[in-house]
Amino acid sequence: MRHNRRILGLLAISASTLLLTSCSNKNISGLGFDKGVSSVNDTSGPLWYWAWMAAAVVGIATFILLMWPVVFHRKKTDDFPRQTRYNIPVEIAYTLIPLIIVAVLFGYTARDESRITKLDSPTTAPHNIHVNAMQWSWQFTYDDAALAPTVTGTPAQRPELVLPLGEKVLFTITSSDVDHGFWIPAFMIQMQALPHVLNHLEFAAEKLGTYPGRCNILCGRNHSEMLLTIKVVTPAQYTAYINSLKVA
Amino acid sequence: MTTFAEPVISSNPSYGVVAPRGQSKGRLFVKWITSTDHKTIGYLYLITSFAWFIIAGILALALRSELARPGLQFLSNEQYNQIFTMHGTVMLLMFATPLFVGFANVIMPLQIGAADVAFPRLNMLSYWLYLFGGLMAFGGFLSPGGAASFGWTAYAPLANSQYSPGIGGDLWVIGLALSGLGTIMGGVNFVTTIFTMRAPGMTMFRMSIFTWNILLTSILVLLAFPPLAAALFGLESDRLFGSHIFDSANGGAMLWQHLFWFFGHPEVYILALPFFGIASEILPVFSRKPIFGYKGLIMATIGIAALSVSVWAHHMYASGQVLLPFFSFMTFLIGVPTGVKFFNWIGTMWGGSVTFETPMLFILGFLVTFLFGGLTGIILASPPLDFAVSASYFVVAHFHYVLFGTVVFAMFGGFYFWWPKMTGHMLNERLGKIHFWTLFFGFHLTFLVQHWLGIKGMPRRYADYLATDGFTTLNTVSTIGSFLLALSMLPFMINVWISRKTPKVTVDDPWGYGASLEWATSCPPPRHNFTSIPRIRSERPAFDLHYPHMAHTDGGH
Repeated sequence: MRHNRRILGLLAISASTLLLTSCSNKNISGLGFDKGVSSVNDTSGPLWYWAWMAAAVVGIATFILLMWPVVFHRKKTDDFPRQTRYNIPVEIAYTLIPLIIVAVLFGYTARDESRITKLDSPTTAPHNIHVNAMQWSWQFTYDDAALAPTVTGTPAQRPELVLPLGEKVLFTITSSDVDHGFWIPAFMIQMQALPHVLNHLEFAAEKLGTYPGRCNILCGRNHSEMLLTIKVVTPAQYTAYINSLKVA
Repeated sequence: MTTFAEPVISSNPSYGVVAPRGQSKGRLFVKWITSTDHKTIGYLYLITSFAWFIIAGILALALRSELARPGLQFLSNEQYNQIFTMHGTVMLLMFATPLFVGFANVIMPLQIGAADVAFPRLNMLSYWLYLFGGLMAFGGFLSPGGAASFGWTAYAPLANSQYSPGIGGDLWVIGLALSGLGTIMGGVNFVTTIFTMRAPGMTMFRMSIFTWNILLTSILVLLAFPPLAAALFGLESDRLFGSHIFDSANGGAMLWQHLFWFFGHPEVYILALPFFGIASEILPVFSRKPIFGYKGLIMATIGIAALSVSVWAHHMYASGQVLLPFFSFMTFLIGVPTGVKFFNWIGTMWGGSVTFETPMLFILGFLVTFLFGGLTGIILASPPLDFAVSASYFVVAHFHYVLFGTVVFAMFGGFYFWWPKMTGHMLNERLGKIHFWTLFFGFHLTFLVQHWLGIKGMPRRYADYLATDGFTTLNTVSTIGSFLLALSMLPFMINVWISRKTPKVTVDDPWGYGASLEWATSCPPPRHNFTSIPRIRSERPAFDLHYPHMAHTDGGH
């Protein structure tokens, strides 16, 4: 009877854990990240989902293994339990199984990471944008046009980075003072902006709308005010926007 | 050589001393600050690091208060930056690292049957370097420009004199270099002690897991702290003399990140391994079984220590300047020996006769917390997933699960477990359980929600956020949790206070099933630890002594 109640308790704990983890995310399939927002999400989204599924299976299994002796192997008599010191087959199993799990995770990681970091050369990339970070705002130079118009923001006047829908953009990212971080949370991507270093990133935005971007490497006093807005527009609107910059 | 003679206690009535010699507070103070006894120095370390824990905890409450609602209510941006910089610095280098030195000092010589550490005076010098180094770094708050505000990672060029002028930064750099020197000396001391001062019969493979972990931690200290010292001196040379070691025009930005994380990642394991060791001491005692898979556990720990120096660049995935597949693979790989340890701990409880005294509760709290921290660690080991949430509150939540889960839960486990050994008094069980459950719920309420904050896009080290960001509710919950967490320190302090009046522990092993050698001497131990040393025939000498009919000699399996 007492045994059954403990099993029920254990099941209730596991079930509520599952329920809690699924309820807290409105978009269950994306686990916090929206699908189809950028080309990075297309690659990283499924990896994020399946890595969490694997983590959930491993986590819940380990949790049950941990709780099992807590619930069922409590002290009942003053007799000593069997003084087991080794069990070689079990030890080999719990070394090999994690090894296989991480090998599989690494396989998918390596595949997806090479997709995300794959770059066109500046000459073949459909669009080129230079991102220059500085204390405490951003500067975007649209290299598509011969005049290469530049937009510069301030902490008070957040700059807007305009991107063409569905077309790949090659970003060249640097900093004119200290380390910064160019992070677009919704696009599942970031890249450090380092002084005297040119970093590259290439992706396509895939959904119209505006998205927040934030500096995520501490860069001094007003780090938390180093924000930007990413605005995804149609390619025609993008061209019009760049042309309007050139006029100005 | 140190002298092994106790000062003769005599009272000369002509001086009219109120308290007997050796008992007045002043005398106790002088005795403590001039001691070369590893136990006394260990207590100094434990008390000092715990004081830093409280101070850095108060800083954390200031950060959480500021973040409870959008808008700046209490602090300016600059004050916020100083406070999180010092919170991280103090927690990692003034609390957790010296806490390892404290536990190692008190327990390790007892566990190997030594009278003291190999270099008792060097030991005391280490402590003074640590204390004054810490005070120096923290003393920046008293300087006109305030304390260092460039984060505990001190990324160049932000940390140079152009972007972070002010004496606070210099005090931070030199303070850390000094206290780091103390840590290096501690590492030298422990390695030498373990290699040369084991009691007869105490072979390497009869040492307790805690002692093994102290050995491997000390080796990691010797690998990781000298590069930190080099980096700090280079930074100070840039700040003070205008050298260009970390000038970004010469690649200084990346040079700093590499040097810092080459220290920083082994440092994580320097913080974790000793506390894994505490867990490995407590679990067998309250399961009434030997540690499961002793040799495999040691191999796993050696594996973790070896791999820990090859994963530093996983802190730099988003720098665009590191070989992602290599560091990703090594980082995944370090999950394997860590998993092995975890299953060894489960195996120790499995089929045991498990009871839930406070030390055991804290270790179970550690296991549950560390399990989740380990799983998010596997997520972060994958560069594509790291690109989504690196340097966000997801990472803040991850490392608090790993570090708080390990260091703080195991620290309290160790305090409750060894309190009778250190003081001769037991801590109260009821208060201990209240302490544990408030800490456990306070911690998870504070940090679980921070995972979602990170996924929603909140960067770390932000003094403020916008009401439109959608971060408000989770931040408020986290702040409430942090105050519950802080409240959980009260039952512990009350417990410590009232324990002075409890009856003295009269037996060597009040828990009844102690395995390692410290349970074969009195509570507290005499000046030179043992009046006699039992025969050491297995990794459980005290258990063999108390239960001769159960004794197991190695070589038999």
